[in-house]
Amino acid sequence: MVVCNLNCAACPFAYLCIPLAIGAFLAIKRYQSRLQKKRLASQVTFLFITNTAFIFGATGLIYTYFYCWEGPLALMACPIGVLEHAFADRAWYLLPYLFGVFGVSSVIFGRAACGWACPIGFLQDLMRGRRTKHPLDEKMRYLKYAILALIPPVCYVTGTLAYTNICPVGGLTATLPHLALDPDGYTFTAFFVPKMLILAGFFVLILLMTRGWCRHLCPVGAMMGPFNKISVLELRYFEDKCIKCFKCAKVCPMQIRMPYDNRSSECIRCGTCVDACPTDALALAFKWK
Amino acid sequence: MKKAVALLLALALAAPGAYIAYTHVKALNVARCLGCIAMEPKAEKFREFWVEYPDSYKNEGIPAHPSWVVNESREHVVMLFFWGPSCEPCERQWEGMKRAGMVEGSEKDGRMTENYSYVTLFSLNAPFDKNGDSIRIYHRKGGTETPTTVILFERNNTIYWYAFSGEANGEGGRPTVEELSGILEKAREEKYGGVQP
Repeated sequence: MVVCNLNCAACPFAYLCIPLAIGAFLAIKRYQSRLQKKRLASQVTFLFITNTAFIFGATGLIYTYFYCWEGPLALMACPIGVLEHAFADRAWYLLPYLFGVFGVSSVIFGRAACGWACPIGFLQDLMRGRRTKHPLDEKMRYLKYAILALIPPVCYVTGTLAYTNICPVGGLTATLPHLALDPDGYTFTAFFVPKMLILAGFFVLILLMTRGWCRHLCPVGAMMGPFNKISVLELRYFEDKCIKCFKCAKVCPMQIRMPYDNRSSECIRCGTCVDACPTDALALAFKWK
Repeated sequence: MKKAVALLLALALAAPGAYIAYTHVKALNVARCLGCIAMEPKAEKFREFWVEYPDSYKNEGIPAHPSWVVNESREHVVMLFFWGPSCEPCERQWEGMKRAGMVEGSEKDGRMTENYSYVTLFSLNAPFDKNGDSIRIYHRKGGTETPTTVILFERNNTIYWYAFSGEANGEGGRPTVEELSGILEKAREEKYGGVQP
Protein backbone atom coordinates (compact mmCIF):
# COMPACT_ATOMS: atom_id res chain seq x y z
CA MET A 1 0.00 0.00 0.00
CA VAL A 2 1.46 3.34 -1.07
CA VAL A 3 0.89 6.25 1.32
CA CYS A 4 1.69 9.86 0.49
CA ASN A 5 4.77 11.10 2.35
CA LEU A 6 4.50 14.62 0.87
CA ASN A 7 7.88 14.17 -0.81
CA CYS A 8 6.75 14.87 -4.37
CA ALA A 9 10.29 15.24 -5.71
CA ALA A 10 11.00 11.58 -4.99
CA CYS A 11 7.52 10.20 -5.71
CA PRO A 12 6.86 8.34 -8.99
CA PHE A 13 3.16 9.24 -8.80
CA ALA A 14 3.73 13.01 -8.53
CA TYR A 15 2.97 13.39 -12.24
CA LEU A 16 -0.57 12.34 -11.41
CA CYS A 17 -1.19 13.93 -8.02
CA ILE A 18 0.19 17.41 -8.71
CA PRO A 19 -1.95 18.13 -11.81
CA LEU A 20 -4.91 16.53 -10.02
CA ALA A 21 -4.49 18.77 -6.98
CA ILE A 22 -4.03 21.90 -9.12
CA GLY A 23 -6.98 20.91 -11.33
CA ALA A 24 -9.28 20.25 -8.39
CA PHE A 25 -8.25 23.55 -6.77
CA LEU A 26 -8.98 25.49 -9.95
CA ALA A 27 -12.17 23.59 -10.60
CA ILE A 28 -13.81 24.02 -7.23
CA LYS A 29 -14.85 27.58 -8.10
CA ARG A 30 -16.32 26.48 -11.38
CA TYR A 31 -18.47 23.73 -9.93
CA GLN A 32 -20.79 26.03 -8.03
CA SER A 33 -24.07 24.25 -7.35
CA ARG A 34 -24.50 21.29 -5.05
CA LEU A 35 -25.06 18.98 -8.01
CA GLN A 36 -21.88 20.22 -9.69
CA LYS A 37 -19.86 19.81 -6.50
CA LYS A 38 -21.08 16.19 -6.38
CA ARG A 39 -19.99 15.82 -9.98
CA LEU A 40 -16.55 17.24 -9.22
CA ALA A 41 -16.21 14.82 -6.30
CA SER A 42 -17.23 11.96 -8.61
CA GLN A 43 -14.76 13.00 -11.32
CA VAL A 44 -11.86 13.29 -8.85
CA THR A 45 -12.77 9.95 -7.26
CA PHE A 46 -12.94 8.19 -10.62
CA LEU A 47 -9.63 9.72 -11.70
CA PHE A 48 -8.11 8.24 -8.56
CA ILE A 49 -9.81 4.83 -8.93
CA THR A 50 -8.73 4.72 -12.57
CA ASN A 51 -5.11 4.88 -11.43
CA THR A 52 -5.06 2.46 -8.51
CA ALA A 53 -3.08 -0.40 -10.03
CA PHE A 54 -0.42 0.44 -7.43
CA ILE A 55 -2.90 -0.84 -4.80
CA PHE A 56 -4.89 -3.55 -6.57
CA GLY A 57 -2.64 -4.47 -9.51
CA ALA A 58 -3.94 -4.57 -13.08
CA THR A 59 -7.38 -6.23 -13.18
CA GLY A 60 -9.57 -7.75 -15.91
CA LEU A 61 -12.31 -5.14 -15.41
CA ILE A 62 -13.16 -2.78 -18.27
CA TYR A 63 -13.43 1.00 -17.95
CA THR A 64 -16.80 2.33 -19.11
CA TYR A 65 -14.99 5.46 -20.25
CA PHE A 66 -11.82 6.26 -22.13
CA TYR A 67 -8.46 5.64 -20.48
CA CYS A 68 -5.37 3.84 -21.71
CA TRP A 69 -4.57 0.50 -20.08
CA GLU A 70 -0.90 0.94 -20.95
CA GLY A 71 -0.85 3.80 -18.43
CA PRO A 72 1.61 3.09 -15.59
CA LEU A 73 -1.13 2.89 -12.95
CA ALA A 74 -4.12 1.79 -15.04
CA LEU A 75 -6.42 -0.45 -13.03
CA MET A 76 -8.78 -1.68 -15.77
CA ALA A 77 -8.78 -2.35 -19.49
CA CYS A 78 -9.49 0.20 -22.22
CA PRO A 79 -12.81 -0.66 -23.93
CA ILE A 80 -11.45 0.30 -27.35
CA GLY A 81 -8.32 -1.78 -26.68
CA VAL A 82 -10.50 -4.81 -25.85
CA LEU A 83 -12.55 -4.21 -29.02
CA GLU A 84 -9.34 -4.02 -31.07
CA HIS A 85 -7.94 -7.21 -29.53
CA ALA A 86 -11.23 -9.04 -30.18
CA PHE A 87 -10.95 -8.32 -33.91
CA ALA A 88 -7.17 -8.27 -34.40
CA ASP A 89 -6.64 -11.56 -32.50
CA ARG A 90 -10.00 -13.08 -33.54
CA ALA A 91 -10.75 -13.40 -29.81
CA TRP A 92 -14.52 -13.17 -30.27
CA TYR A 93 -15.28 -14.29 -26.74
CA LEU A 94 -14.13 -10.84 -25.53
CA LEU A 95 -17.12 -9.19 -27.21
CA PRO A 96 -19.99 -10.41 -24.96
CA TYR A 97 -18.03 -9.22 -21.92
CA LEU A 98 -17.33 -5.81 -23.47
CA PHE A 99 -20.85 -5.26 -24.78
CA GLY A 100 -22.40 -6.68 -21.60
CA VAL A 101 -20.45 -4.31 -19.36
CA PHE A 102 -21.29 -1.35 -21.58
CA GLY A 103 -24.91 -2.51 -21.87
CA VAL A 104 -25.40 -2.65 -18.10
CA SER A 105 -23.66 0.68 -17.50
CA SER A 106 -25.41 2.45 -20.36
CA VAL A 107 -28.91 1.07 -19.74
CA ILE A 108 -28.68 2.36 -16.17
CA PHE A 109 -26.72 5.58 -16.59
CA GLY A 110 -26.90 6.40 -20.30
CA ARG A 111 -23.85 8.46 -21.21
CA ALA A 112 -23.41 9.76 -17.66
CA ALA A 113 -19.95 8.14 -17.44
CA CYS A 114 -18.74 10.88 -19.82
CA GLY A 115 -19.94 13.61 -17.48
CA TRP A 116 -19.32 12.02 -14.10
CA ALA A 117 -16.46 9.53 -14.42
CA CYS A 118 -14.31 9.97 -17.52
CA PRO A 119 -10.91 11.56 -16.79
CA ILE A 120 -10.78 12.89 -20.35
CA GLY A 121 -14.18 14.51 -19.83
CA PHE A 122 -12.87 15.94 -16.55
CA LEU A 123 -9.89 17.40 -18.37
CA GLN A 124 -12.22 19.03 -20.88
CA ASP A 125 -14.34 20.49 -18.09
CA LEU A 126 -11.19 21.98 -16.55
CA MET A 127 -9.96 23.33 -19.89
CA ARG A 128 -13.40 24.85 -20.52
CA GLY A 129 -13.20 25.20 -24.31
CA ARG A 130 -14.95 27.99 -26.15
CA ARG A 131 -18.60 27.73 -27.06
CA THR A 132 -18.59 27.77 -30.83
CA LYS A 133 -21.34 26.84 -33.18
CA HIS A 134 -19.76 25.80 -36.45
CA PRO A 135 -22.09 25.16 -39.40
CA LEU A 136 -20.59 21.67 -39.67
CA ASP A 137 -20.98 20.98 -35.96
CA GLU A 138 -24.14 18.93 -36.28
CA LYS A 139 -22.70 16.67 -38.99
CA MET A 140 -19.29 16.35 -37.30
CA ARG A 141 -20.99 14.56 -34.41
CA TYR A 142 -21.33 11.51 -36.64
CA LEU A 143 -17.53 11.29 -36.95
CA LYS A 144 -17.28 9.38 -33.68
CA TYR A 145 -19.73 6.76 -34.94
CA ALA A 146 -17.72 6.46 -38.16
CA ILE A 147 -14.51 5.99 -36.13
CA LEU A 148 -16.17 3.34 -33.95
CA ALA A 149 -17.51 1.55 -37.03
CA LEU A 150 -14.07 1.58 -38.70
CA ILE A 151 -12.08 0.15 -35.80
CA PRO A 152 -13.30 -3.50 -36.07
CA PRO A 153 -12.78 -3.99 -39.82
CA VAL A 154 -9.42 -2.21 -39.86
CA CYS A 155 -8.14 -4.27 -36.89
CA TYR A 156 -9.52 -7.46 -38.45
CA VAL A 157 -7.88 -6.86 -41.82
CA THR A 158 -4.52 -5.55 -40.55
CA GLY A 159 -4.29 -7.78 -37.47
CA THR A 160 -3.01 -4.77 -35.53
CA LEU A 161 -4.26 -2.41 -32.83
CA ALA A 162 -4.70 0.22 -35.51
CA TYR A 163 -6.49 2.84 -33.39
CA THR A 164 -4.11 2.46 -30.43
CA ASN A 165 -1.21 3.45 -32.69
CA ILE A 166 -2.63 6.94 -33.14
CA CYS A 167 -4.88 7.28 -30.09
CA PRO A 168 -4.43 10.70 -28.44
CA VAL A 169 -5.88 9.43 -25.16
CA GLY A 170 -3.13 6.78 -25.08
CA GLY A 171 -0.60 9.52 -25.84
CA LEU A 172 -1.87 11.60 -22.95
CA THR A 173 -2.52 8.92 -20.34
CA ALA A 174 0.20 6.38 -21.18
CA THR A 175 2.99 7.67 -23.44
CA LEU A 176 3.54 10.97 -21.60
CA PRO A 177 3.32 9.48 -18.06
CA HIS A 178 5.84 6.76 -18.97
CA LEU A 179 8.12 9.47 -20.33
CA ALA A 180 7.63 11.56 -17.19
CA LEU A 181 8.60 8.60 -15.02
CA ASP A 182 11.70 7.74 -17.04
CA PRO A 183 12.55 10.58 -19.45
CA ASP A 184 15.75 9.00 -20.71
CA GLY A 185 14.58 5.40 -20.77
CA TYR A 186 12.92 5.07 -24.17
CA THR A 187 13.33 5.22 -27.90
CA PHE A 188 10.36 5.94 -30.13
CA THR A 189 8.59 4.10 -32.92
CA ALA A 190 7.45 5.67 -36.18
CA PHE A 191 4.04 6.31 -34.61
CA PHE A 192 5.40 8.63 -31.93
CA VAL A 193 5.40 11.85 -33.97
CA PRO A 194 1.93 11.25 -35.53
CA LYS A 195 0.59 10.37 -32.08
CA MET A 196 1.96 13.55 -30.52
CA LEU A 197 0.65 15.66 -33.44
CA ILE A 198 -2.80 14.12 -32.98
CA LEU A 199 -2.53 14.81 -29.23
CA ALA A 200 -1.69 18.45 -30.00
CA GLY A 201 -4.75 18.51 -32.29
CA PHE A 202 -6.80 17.04 -29.43
CA PHE A 203 -5.79 19.96 -27.18
CA VAL A 204 -6.57 22.51 -29.90
CA LEU A 205 -9.97 20.88 -30.40
CA ILE A 206 -10.92 20.90 -26.72
CA LEU A 207 -9.78 24.51 -26.36
CA LEU A 208 -11.74 25.60 -29.42
CA MET A 209 -14.88 23.63 -28.64
CA THR A 210 -16.39 22.84 -25.29
CA ARG A 211 -16.27 19.04 -24.88
CA GLY A 212 -15.00 18.91 -28.48
CA TRP A 213 -13.54 15.41 -28.07
CA CYS A 214 -16.76 13.97 -26.59
CA ARG A 215 -18.94 15.62 -29.17
CA HIS A 216 -17.06 14.73 -32.31
CA LEU A 217 -14.39 12.08 -31.94
CA CYS A 218 -14.76 9.84 -28.89
CA PRO A 219 -15.57 6.25 -29.96
CA VAL A 220 -16.41 5.29 -26.36
CA GLY A 221 -19.06 8.01 -26.24
CA ALA A 222 -20.39 6.62 -29.50
CA MET A 223 -20.81 3.21 -27.85
CA MET A 224 -22.90 4.66 -25.03
CA GLY A 225 -24.79 7.48 -26.77
CA PRO A 226 -27.66 5.49 -28.30
CA PHE A 227 -28.58 4.11 -24.86
CA ASN A 228 -29.60 7.62 -23.75
CA LYS A 229 -32.97 6.95 -25.39
CA ILE A 230 -33.78 4.16 -22.95
CA SER A 231 -31.52 4.77 -19.96
CA VAL A 232 -32.88 4.58 -16.42
CA LEU A 233 -31.11 7.82 -15.50
CA GLU A 234 -33.13 10.38 -17.41
CA LEU A 235 -32.87 14.08 -18.01
CA ARG A 236 -36.54 14.85 -17.44
CA TYR A 237 -38.27 17.83 -19.04
CA PHE A 238 -41.48 19.27 -17.58
CA GLU A 239 -42.95 21.29 -20.40
CA ASP A 240 -45.61 22.89 -18.22
CA LYS A 241 -42.92 24.54 -16.07
CA CYS A 242 -40.76 25.70 -18.99
CA ILE A 243 -40.76 29.44 -19.76
CA LYS A 244 -38.69 28.99 -22.95
CA CYS A 245 -35.83 31.14 -21.72
CA PHE A 246 -33.33 28.67 -23.29
CA LYS A 247 -30.79 29.21 -20.54
CA CYS A 248 -30.32 25.43 -20.58
CA ALA A 249 -29.27 25.52 -24.24
CA LYS A 250 -26.82 28.35 -23.55
CA VAL A 251 -24.94 26.46 -20.84
CA CYS A 252 -25.01 22.92 -22.27
CA PRO A 253 -21.37 21.87 -22.80
CA MET A 254 -22.46 19.41 -25.49
CA GLN A 255 -24.43 22.20 -27.21
CA ILE A 256 -27.58 20.12 -27.48
CA ARG A 257 -30.82 21.78 -28.62
CA MET A 258 -32.21 22.00 -25.13
CA PRO A 259 -34.77 21.65 -23.72
CA TYR A 260 -36.41 19.70 -26.54
CA ASP A 261 -33.53 17.28 -27.14
CA ASN A 262 -33.38 16.08 -23.55
CA ARG A 263 -33.03 12.45 -24.71
CA SER A 264 -30.29 13.26 -27.19
CA SER A 265 -27.55 10.65 -27.60
CA GLU A 266 -25.11 13.50 -26.96
CA CYS A 267 -26.34 14.24 -23.42
CA ILE A 268 -23.71 13.39 -20.81
CA ARG A 269 -26.10 13.90 -17.86
CA CYS A 270 -23.79 16.57 -16.39
CA GLY A 271 -26.75 18.50 -14.99
CA THR A 272 -25.46 21.93 -16.07
CA CYS A 273 -28.83 22.63 -17.67
CA VAL A 274 -30.64 21.52 -14.51
CA ASP A 275 -28.69 24.11 -12.52
CA ALA A 276 -29.33 26.83 -15.10
CA CYS A 277 -33.10 26.32 -15.26
CA PRO A 278 -34.86 29.03 -13.24
CA THR A 279 -38.17 27.13 -13.03
CA ASP A 280 -37.02 23.56 -12.30
CA ALA A 281 -38.36 22.40 -15.65
CA LEU A 282 -35.41 20.01 -15.97
CA ALA A 283 -34.31 17.31 -13.53
CA LEU A 284 -31.96 14.35 -13.42
CA ALA A 285 -33.81 11.33 -12.09
CA PHE A 286 -33.76 7.54 -12.13
CA LYS A 287 -37.00 6.39 -13.72
CA TRP A 288 -37.92 2.81 -14.58
CA LYS A 289 -41.05 3.63 -16.57
CA MET B 1 -40.64 -2.71 -19.11
CA LYS B 2 -38.43 -1.82 -22.07
CA LYS B 3 -35.67 -0.71 -19.69
CA ALA B 4 -35.92 -3.83 -17.55
CA VAL B 5 -35.69 -6.09 -20.62
CA ALA B 6 -32.68 -4.13 -21.92
CA LEU B 7 -30.97 -4.38 -18.54
CA LEU B 8 -31.68 -8.11 -18.29
CA LEU B 9 -30.27 -8.65 -21.78
CA ALA B 10 -27.15 -6.67 -20.90
CA LEU B 11 -26.73 -8.65 -17.67
CA ALA B 12 -27.21 -11.90 -19.58
CA LEU B 13 -24.31 -10.84 -21.82
CA ALA B 14 -22.10 -9.40 -19.08
CA ALA B 15 -22.22 -12.23 -16.52
CA PRO B 16 -21.18 -15.19 -18.71
CA GLY B 17 -19.00 -12.80 -20.73
CA ALA B 18 -17.08 -11.85 -17.59
CA TYR B 19 -16.85 -15.51 -16.57
CA ILE B 20 -15.29 -16.45 -19.89
CA ALA B 21 -13.18 -13.40 -20.66
CA TYR B 22 -12.16 -11.79 -17.35
CA THR B 23 -8.92 -13.76 -17.06
CA HIS B 24 -8.03 -13.07 -20.69
CA VAL B 25 -8.64 -9.33 -20.29
CA LYS B 26 -6.63 -9.34 -17.06
CA ALA B 27 -3.73 -11.06 -18.81
CA LEU B 28 -3.82 -8.46 -21.57
CA ASN B 29 -3.96 -5.68 -18.98
CA VAL B 30 -1.05 -7.04 -16.96
CA ALA B 31 1.11 -7.38 -20.07
CA ARG B 32 2.70 -4.21 -21.34
CA CYS B 33 3.22 -3.39 -24.99
CA LEU B 34 4.86 0.01 -24.93
CA GLY B 35 5.56 -0.41 -28.63
CA CYS B 36 1.78 -0.11 -29.02
CA ILE B 37 1.96 3.41 -27.54
CA ALA B 38 4.89 4.41 -29.76
CA MET B 39 7.79 3.87 -27.39
CA GLU B 40 10.31 1.15 -26.61
CA PRO B 41 12.69 0.88 -23.67
CA LYS B 42 16.41 1.41 -24.00
CA ALA B 43 18.61 -1.56 -23.21
CA GLU B 44 22.14 -2.24 -22.10
CA LYS B 45 24.27 -2.78 -25.19
CA PHE B 46 25.71 -6.29 -25.43
CA ARG B 47 29.38 -6.47 -24.47
CA GLU B 48 29.59 -9.73 -22.59
CA PHE B 49 27.20 -12.19 -20.96
CA TRP B 50 26.10 -11.46 -17.41
CA VAL B 51 25.96 -13.74 -14.42
CA GLU B 52 24.37 -11.30 -11.99
CA TYR B 53 21.94 -8.51 -12.77
CA PRO B 54 23.80 -5.52 -14.28
CA ASP B 55 23.54 -2.06 -12.67
CA SER B 56 20.82 -0.94 -15.09
CA TYR B 57 18.44 -3.52 -13.62
CA LYS B 58 16.12 -2.93 -10.71
CA ASN B 59 16.98 -6.33 -9.22
CA GLU B 60 20.33 -7.33 -7.79
CA GLY B 61 22.26 -10.57 -7.43
CA ILE B 62 21.84 -13.70 -9.52
CA PRO B 63 18.46 -14.04 -11.26
CA ALA B 64 16.17 -16.84 -10.12
CA HIS B 65 16.26 -18.61 -13.49
CA PRO B 66 13.25 -20.95 -13.84
CA SER B 67 14.11 -24.64 -13.54
CA TRP B 68 12.86 -25.45 -17.07
CA VAL B 69 15.31 -22.86 -18.42
CA VAL B 70 18.19 -24.13 -16.28
CA ASN B 71 17.56 -27.75 -17.35
CA GLU B 72 17.53 -26.87 -21.03
CA SER B 73 20.56 -24.59 -20.77
CA ARG B 74 22.70 -27.54 -19.64
CA GLU B 75 22.43 -29.07 -23.11
CA HIS B 76 21.80 -26.10 -25.37
CA VAL B 77 22.01 -22.38 -25.74
CA VAL B 78 18.53 -21.11 -24.87
CA MET B 79 16.66 -18.22 -26.41
CA LEU B 80 13.49 -16.97 -24.74
CA PHE B 81 11.27 -14.79 -26.91
CA PHE B 82 8.39 -13.23 -24.98
CA TRP B 83 5.74 -11.84 -27.30
CA GLY B 84 2.17 -10.56 -26.91
CA PRO B 85 -1.01 -10.73 -29.00
CA SER B 86 -1.25 -7.99 -31.65
CA CYS B 87 2.13 -6.67 -30.50
CA GLU B 88 3.54 -5.06 -33.63
CA PRO B 89 7.16 -4.76 -32.44
CA CYS B 90 7.05 -8.48 -31.55
CA GLU B 91 5.78 -9.35 -35.01
CA ARG B 92 8.41 -7.14 -36.68
CA GLN B 93 11.21 -8.79 -34.70
CA TRP B 94 9.87 -12.27 -35.46
CA GLU B 95 9.65 -11.50 -39.17
CA GLY B 96 13.18 -10.02 -39.04
CA MET B 97 14.52 -13.19 -37.39
CA LYS B 98 12.71 -15.23 -40.02
CA ARG B 99 14.25 -13.23 -42.87
CA ALA B 100 17.68 -13.67 -41.26
CA GLY B 101 17.14 -17.44 -41.32
CA MET B 102 17.15 -17.77 -37.55
CA VAL B 103 13.61 -19.02 -36.95
CA GLU B 104 10.77 -20.62 -38.87
CA GLY B 105 7.05 -20.96 -38.31
CA SER B 106 4.97 -18.43 -36.42
CA GLU B 107 5.43 -16.87 -32.98
CA LYS B 108 2.93 -19.40 -31.62
CA ASP B 109 4.71 -22.54 -32.82
CA GLY B 110 8.07 -21.18 -33.86
CA ARG B 111 11.37 -23.04 -33.80
CA MET B 112 15.01 -22.38 -34.68
CA THR B 113 16.19 -23.29 -38.17
CA GLU B 114 18.71 -26.05 -38.92
CA ASN B 115 21.59 -23.53 -38.83
CA TYR B 116 20.79 -22.78 -35.22
CA SER B 117 20.22 -26.33 -34.04
CA TYR B 118 22.42 -25.63 -31.01
CA VAL B 119 19.74 -23.21 -29.75
CA THR B 120 16.49 -24.18 -28.01
CA LEU B 121 13.82 -21.56 -28.56
CA PHE B 122 11.01 -20.91 -26.11
CA SER B 123 8.62 -18.55 -27.89
CA LEU B 124 6.21 -17.56 -25.14
CA ASN B 125 2.96 -15.63 -25.34
CA ALA B 126 3.79 -13.49 -22.30
CA PRO B 127 0.26 -12.65 -21.07
CA PHE B 128 -0.68 -16.34 -21.18
CA ASP B 129 2.66 -17.86 -20.16
CA LYS B 130 1.84 -21.11 -18.34
CA ASN B 131 5.22 -20.95 -16.64
CA GLY B 132 4.15 -17.90 -14.69
CA ASP B 133 5.67 -14.47 -14.80
CA SER B 134 9.08 -15.60 -16.04
CA ILE B 135 9.33 -12.45 -18.18
CA ARG B 136 9.61 -10.34 -15.00
CA ILE B 137 12.89 -12.07 -14.09
CA TYR B 138 14.54 -10.72 -17.23
CA HIS B 139 12.88 -7.31 -17.57
CA ARG B 140 14.98 -4.30 -16.57
CA LYS B 141 12.30 -3.00 -14.20
CA GLY B 142 10.72 -6.32 -13.33
CA GLY B 143 7.92 -5.54 -15.80
CA THR B 144 6.04 -7.55 -18.39
CA GLU B 145 6.88 -5.73 -21.54
CA THR B 146 6.87 -7.44 -24.90
CA PRO B 147 8.91 -8.23 -26.86
CA THR B 148 11.60 -9.31 -24.41
CA THR B 149 14.42 -11.47 -25.70
CA VAL B 150 16.78 -13.48 -23.50
CA ILE B 151 19.80 -15.57 -24.49
CA LEU B 152 21.41 -17.80 -21.92
CA PHE B 153 23.58 -20.86 -21.48
CA GLU B 154 25.12 -22.87 -18.70
CA ARG B 155 28.86 -23.47 -18.30
CA ASN B 156 30.54 -24.97 -15.24
CA ASN B 157 27.28 -24.77 -13.27
CA THR B 158 26.96 -21.03 -13.90
CA ILE B 159 24.23 -19.48 -16.01
CA TYR B 160 25.39 -16.73 -18.36
CA TRP B 161 22.72 -14.51 -19.87
CA TYR B 162 21.84 -11.36 -21.77
CA ALA B 163 18.39 -9.79 -22.18
CA PHE B 164 16.71 -6.77 -23.67
CA SER B 165 13.14 -5.51 -24.01
CA GLY B 166 11.78 -3.85 -27.13
CA GLU B 167 12.28 -4.68 -30.78
CA ALA B 168 15.71 -5.83 -31.96
CA ASN B 169 16.19 -2.89 -34.34
CA GLY B 170 19.54 -1.49 -33.24
CA GLU B 171 18.07 1.53 -31.42
CA GLY B 172 18.55 2.53 -27.78
CA GLY B 173 21.27 -0.06 -27.12
CA ARG B 174 19.15 -2.93 -28.41
CA PRO B 175 20.88 -5.22 -30.92
CA THR B 176 19.81 -5.56 -34.53
CA VAL B 177 18.62 -8.99 -35.68
CA GLU B 178 22.07 -9.55 -37.22
CA GLU B 179 23.73 -8.63 -33.94
CA LEU B 180 21.32 -10.95 -32.15
CA SER B 181 22.52 -13.74 -34.41
CA GLY B 182 26.10 -12.76 -33.49
CA ILE B 183 25.21 -12.95 -29.77
CA LEU B 184 23.92 -16.51 -30.31
CA GLU B 185 27.20 -17.38 -32.05
CA LYS B 186 29.13 -15.90 -29.14
CA ALA B 187 27.03 -17.96 -26.71
CA ARG B 188 27.87 -21.08 -28.71
CA GLU B 189 31.58 -20.27 -28.64
CA GLU B 190 31.55 -19.65 -24.91
CA LYS B 191 29.47 -22.73 -24.12
CA TYR B 192 31.17 -25.25 -26.38
CA GLY B 193 34.55 -23.54 -26.82
CA GLY B 194 33.95 -23.00 -30.52
CA VAL B 195 33.32 -26.70 -31.19
CA GLN B 196 30.08 -27.46 -33.04
CA PRO B 197 27.95 -29.55 -30.67
